[in-house]
Amino acid sequence: MARTVLICDDALFMRSMLADILTGAGFEVVGEAQTGAEAVKRYKELTPDLVTMDIVMPDMGGIDAVRAIMKDHPQARILMCSAMGQQALVIEAIQAGARDFVVKPFQPSRVLEAVQRVLG
Amino acid sequence: MDLRRFVDLYVSESREHVQLLQRSLLALEKQPAGPAVDQAFRAAHTLKGLAAAMGYGSVTELAHHLEDRLEEVRAGRLVPEPDLVDAMLADADRLEAAIAEALTRPPGEPAGRTDPSAPSSGPNTRTPAAVPDGTGIVAVIRLRPDAPIKSARAMIIMRGLESVGTVLGSHPPAFDDDFDGGLHVFLGHPVDGDAVRNVISGAGDVDSIALLDPNELVQAAAPVAEPAVSPPPPSRQVRVDAHRLDRAGEDVTELAVLFSRIEAGLPRHGPADDAMSRMGRVLASLQRDMLQLRMVPLADSLDRLHRVVRDAARATGRDVALHIDGDDVELDRAIVDEMGDCFVHLLRNAVDHGIEPSAERVAADKPATGCIRIAATPERSSVRITVSDDGRGVDGRKVMTRARAAGLLPEGGTDDLDDAAVFRLLSHPGLSTADEVSAVSGRGVGMDVVVSRIRSLGGAIDMMTEAGAGTTFIIRLPVTLAMSHALRVRVGREEYAIPLTHVVEAVDLNGTVDAARDKVWLRDAAVPLVRLRDVLQVEGEGREETAVIAVRGDRKVALAVDELVGREQIQVRSFDDVTGTLPYFTGAILLADGRPALVLDPLSVM
Repeated sequence: MARTVLICDDALFMRSMLADILTGAGFEVVGEAQTGAEAVKRYKELTPDLVTMDIVMPDMGGIDAVRAIMKDHPQARILMCSAMGQQALVIEAIQAGARDFVVKPFQPSRVLEAVQRVLG
Repeated sequence: MDLRRFVDLYVSESREHVQLLQRSLLALEKQPAGPAVDQAFRAAHTLKGLAAAMGYGSVTELAHHLEDRLEEVRAGRLVPEPDLVDAMLADADRLEAAIAEALTRPPGEPAGRTDPSAPSSGPNTRTPAAVPDGTGIVAVIRLRPDAPIKSARAMIIMRGLESVGTVLGSHPPAFDDDFDGGLHVFLGHPVDGDAVRNVISGAGDVDSIALLDPNELVQAAAPVAEPAVSPPPPSRQVRVDAHRLDRAGEDVTELAVLFSRIEAGLPRHGPADDAMSRMGRVLASLQRDMLQLRMVPLADSLDRLHRVVRDAARATGRDVALHIDGDDVELDRAIVDEMGDCFVHLLRNAVDHGIEPSAERVAADKPATGCIRIAATPERSSVRITVSDDGRGVDGRKVMTRARAAGLLPEGGTDDLDDAAVFRLLSHPGLSTADEVSAVSGRGVGMDVVVSRIRSLGGAIDMMTEAGAGTTFIIRLPVTLAMSHALRVRVGREEYAIPLTHVVEAVDLNGTVDAARDKVWLRDAAVPLVRLRDVLQVEGEGREETAVIAVRGDRKVALAVDELVGREQIQVRSFDDVTGTLPYFTGAILLADGRPALVLDPLSVM
């Protein structure tokens, strides 16, 4: 059975790109979210094997979403997707419980390496 | 050890030796028997050593080749004919090019490194500050140089290690933006080496791992801690025309002002946040660097004062010794330059009017040799310089008599003025305590010029004197002219800037003002309240909610303002003629939003 992933990003382009990379590697994209709040809600419904989480999203940011998910699901495996220059936020996300991070612009190989580490 | 830190030093030092080599080779051609051959040989030898220490193989070989040839010349087996010199000069040119290349290429491994498995193969081998007690294994880890957000990666590694062992600490202890990717993690017993390795290599972006015994760590670090070039290269100095430095400093300052103006106009949390905050940091660091470049020790201005005192003492037949303390305190060069004449005046004044003739001193039970002391001490963002003598002190009555004669003081009135009042009279243009204009202190810069110059530099001068015991001048100067922080305050419709140099705090006036509205209660101490509205003759009534507390020595004053607008970095532009303006203002600035504002000297209203 293919492993499941929830992609959280407010940009359609980024979601499409990640979906492309991950499906190419045999993942099943079971859901997408455009806001932090939606990410938390969708996680509860889907309990996917992997979550990719953008840091800056409307409504609720990615870091708060990580905290909310980890509170109820400490086993959640979350990969942060960060833009350049968000060092401090990435560190905050790691402290909040995210397992790893990738930096945009995405290189498929780096994304997949990080995914392996998160699931490993 | 991260050799990249030494690249600049390596290049600048090597360039000097290449130039020396080229000069010596030319001299060698003219005078084969002279000392040039030894000089050239030493230069080539030094170049070889420097390059080997940095791991630049091709430079090492080239230098070695040249060294061999020069050895042959030295031994007389080769004659430095033009062709040979040509060839050696060409080698020197190649060396020069290869050295310059170092700037674009990371250094290789130092030649002669002991053990490739030792942590010098990459990880940070500076001996950590302290290996915690109970450390069983030290994991020496280096991240890949291209790893993004190394600090976050290090945290992931730490978290992974916590899951397989006891983490006692790390070096560096915390990972910030400056983290360079080399870390030591101290793990307590028992340690499962394989599990530790797996966790680290599984954390991603790891370049190398070494698991070391704590003792091994210190030994492994030792050989690389001492570079092959010893003693450590001295810092190189560059001579720069001071005006160029000033221009660069002004440009940086202008840039900083423009930056805050742009920043003030941008929305918060906008798309440029990251770039702006980074730019702010770069600018701040640039300003610090520029500031450092402008700093010179006070000694530059004080050294010649020994001669001044000696000459003045000879001219007046006094016996005086000058002692200087703290002349290593650093100040903006412009301030040091400006202060030179002031010190000359104060010292001549002290010799001429302060120190008594030896006979008089002995009769008064004082040492025959008079003593003048200059002492400088850093104080918050300013420097405090005292100029004191152990002479007869200033005779207040005499000053008052002269002031009355000059029409500066009304006839009659009190005969009991405090030091500050006496000093105000003394520093009035045209008043001198000398009974006659003396050759030493009566001409040139007067006390009035000293006072106005110190004020125009943003500083202050006070005098304390005691009959028979001596006089002390206390000078406070800002460390730098380039930039200072100021409070923006509003009085009426105008905004003013008050430099923070003399400001200690701002207080809310609600409930702290006494009934007469002339004092503020500040932690049970009464501070005189001055309403800027009155001082600046602003029409109408204001809210006067806040007071800025300024301090001078141990005296405080509270300046009531309508509103505290904010805090801002300013560059004061002095008025061309300070004496021609209202006495409260030292200059004008442009605010971040581009409007001009006057700079208020809080001490002037005391």
